[in-house]
Amino acid sequence: MAGAAFVTGLALLPTVAGAASYSVRSEVDATRVGVEDQIQLTITMEGSEGPDTVALPALTNLRVVGGPYESTQVSIINGRMTQARSWTYALQPQAEGRAEVGTVTAGEETAPAIAIDVVAGSVRPPQPQRRRDPFGMDPFGRDPFEELLGRRREPRAEPKVLIEAAPSRRSLRVGEPLLLTYNLYTQVAVSDLNFKEAPQFAGFWTEELERPQTPPSGEAATREGEPYRRFPVLRKLLFPTRAGTLTIPAATFRIGLPARGFFDEGQVVERTTRPVTVTVEPLPAVPGFTGAVGRFQARATLDRETLPLGDAALLRLRVEGTGNLKWVDRPPPVEVAGAKVYPPQVKSDFDVTPQGIRGSRTWEFVVVPETTGTLEVPPLRFSYFDPKAEKVVAAETTPLSLRVEGGTVAAGAVAPPGAVAAGGGALPLRADLDPSVLAVPSLGGRTVAALAALVLLGHAGLWGAGLVRGAFRRVGGHTTPVRSVRAALRDIERAGRPGMTKEQAAALLDKGLHEAFGDLDDGDGSEKARAVRALLSEVHFVRYAPQLGDYSETLRDLAARAGAAVRRWA
Amino acid sequence: MRSGLRLGALVLGLLAPLVSGARAATADARFDEANDLARSGDYPKAISLYRELAASGDESASLYWNWAQAASSRGDQGEALWALLRARELDPGDRAVRRDVEAVRESLNLDPAEIAPEPLAAAARIARRFRLDVLGMALLVLSLAAHVLARLRPGSRWPVSLAWVAFSLGVLAAAAPIAGTLARPTGTVIRRGAPLLDAASPSAEPIGSLREGEVVPILEPGGSWLRIEDASGARGWAHVADVRRLDVPPDHEWPER
Repeated sequence: MAGAAFVTGLALLPTVAGAASYSVRSEVDATRVGVEDQIQLTITMEGSEGPDTVALPALTNLRVVGGPYESTQVSIINGRMTQARSWTYALQPQAEGRAEVGTVTAGEETAPAIAIDVVAGSVRPPQPQRRRDPFGMDPFGRDPFEELLGRRREPRAEPKVLIEAAPSRRSLRVGEPLLLTYNLYTQVAVSDLNFKEAPQFAGFWTEELERPQTPPSGEAATREGEPYRRFPVLRKLLFPTRAGTLTIPAATFRIGLPARGFFDEGQVVERTTRPVTVTVEPLPAVPGFTGAVGRFQARATLDRETLPLGDAALLRLRVEGTGNLKWVDRPPPVEVAGAKVYPPQVKSDFDVTPQGIRGSRTWEFVVVPETTGTLEVPPLRFSYFDPKAEKVVAAETTPLSLRVEGGTVAAGAVAPPGAVAAGGGALPLRADLDPSVLAVPSLGGRTVAALAALVLLGHAGLWGAGLVRGAFRRVGGHTTPVRSVRAALRDIERAGRPGMTKEQAAALLDKGLHEAFGDLDDGDGSEKARAVRALLSEVHFVRYAPQLGDYSETLRDLAARAGAAVRRWA
Repeated sequence: MRSGLRLGALVLGLLAPLVSGARAATADARFDEANDLARSGDYPKAISLYRELAASGDESASLYWNWAQAASSRGDQGEALWALLRARELDPGDRAVRRDVEAVRESLNLDPAEIAPEPLAAAARIARRFRLDVLGMALLVLSLAAHVLARLRPGSRWPVSLAWVAFSLGVLAAAAPIAGTLARPTGTVIRRGAPLLDAASPSAEPIGSLREGEVVPILEPGGSWLRIEDASGARGWAHVADVRRLDVPPDHEWPER
């Protein structure tokens, strides 16, 4: 720390048995500084059991301009290992008067606050940006050449270096290019330069330009009365995308300065540009205007003048000029009467120049004629905003003619996208109209529903009629359930069929008559009872009589009479 | 007087087949003419003739098949899908039509559900394909006849069984065409990026765009505008030049695209 007003706001706290086995101290390299000077604050923690990090203490009238730079030192003395970690900050006074570094707290340990007196201007020579050894054991802390030569090395003065962002203009229209140049002004040699943080250009499209060719020694320039060498280090082309007041934000660069000797590490300084504000005017709202800004020419061509029907022509619309054409995707509408125009393919060829984007964009439309004759491609209008004329103008192409000759589809014709016909060959057309003629016309859902309802009504009517009929039967003295009457009639009908023995047939007749009339009371002398009893008697006779002949005729007669009796009285 | 009427009726009876035959011959000739135009690549004129034929009542699956081929060759995949779906409506059993419906649907990147928004419409097609309407009615009438017979011949059991079987099958068969009537009418979007508007007016604000080939239920047909619901559930109005109905034949009055 030779020559430096090294002052320690020391607080090497004694280690007490049973207390924490680490200590913390904070130091500044000067307690009296000018408002233009910087102070180096070092917080050191010795011991192995302390916290992992130490928070920055409260700062009064000071701000952090660098750091923290962390370092760890391990040493072994008399076989005992000690460890020290330090955090170094660069502080800048904010105003004349009193400043203070607050109390440092690390776990249970603290280091007291340090008061600093800030005076006007600068009171200390510039310090090299070398990190301090927290233990003060920097072997190069003392300059060997100072003792050898009897004089000190010259301390490095604050380098005269600055960066400026220079826009080509501060007022423009949406879509117009703005050339932004970052100029380096320096009085010293510079070894390196890069962004600390790349700026975000909100509200702009950006295009990178090649680094300008300048003489190695730069250009002479004067800033605030001092001579500098100016180097344009970076150029960007910005296109505002919206109207209003837009701000190009400040950009911070890291500038490397070369080493001046064997023991000099060189220096890195940071410089920040000032924000740049530009005013962006909106574009006029004109129908058909797609946002192109600049100066353009348009030209339309056809790849052929004559073609057979079924073949395709290629219509090219080429727009070229300087402006923001790169961001214009939509071509003007193309409609050709009698032809189908398919969406275009786009080809572009652009070159970014400080004046804007120069080049061309070509839209290629496939035109498939749908009829024979001469088709007219109307003039195509490409509208753009001309900044010089301050209005939207149109570049118009000349009309074109396309003669379509009749004939079959040409071999190798451009197949329309997605044709059903496989392979794009002859259409698989059906030869016969084959109108659908139905023997029975389709009824339709509603007709079916209506007819079904009618059928249901019919069923319901029949069922209801059966109920009514049963009711009338009961009123008329018919007490046998209808179901039993049906069963009886079925049995009687079966008995009259051939193929049964006389016993089987007679048994069925017997069963049927009993189903229909039940057990008749012997005292019942009604016509019904007499007739049924006579029938049963004949049935029993046939059933139990010896098989002396053919009884089929007799059984049929009995079945007929039994059926008639059931229908009449049951 | 009476003899004069009889003569007139006789003449009309004799002329009717002649008139019908002449009309069929004319339709066939125009169909051939349209096919020739399509083969020569003059798709607009071919489609115009197909439309005239369909509007005149000479519809058939073959006519719409050819229409679809011409429209597809012209690049109008939505119109091709509409024509194929209309052909499927007329002849649900046409396998080639069903195959091409799938091919065009896939070329339009449509999900199967996007061309079948009304499941009950499929029931109606099945009914048409297998003539379930006629079959169902025949069975129901048969069941009624068997019921009558069962009443007339109470001793016979088979009419009762026949009536029940015929009635059950008839109800099942008739259910499909009846269910088909519950399906809403549908239409096909035939223009790419057709707008869905918030009102039935040319100056209405678009609330979305329709997918080419998508089949949409028609909620309210009205003049040149159809109130529809797209696959996302959005409801709005579309022009009949953009959405073609599937439930009715084309009209002479349909606007050109």
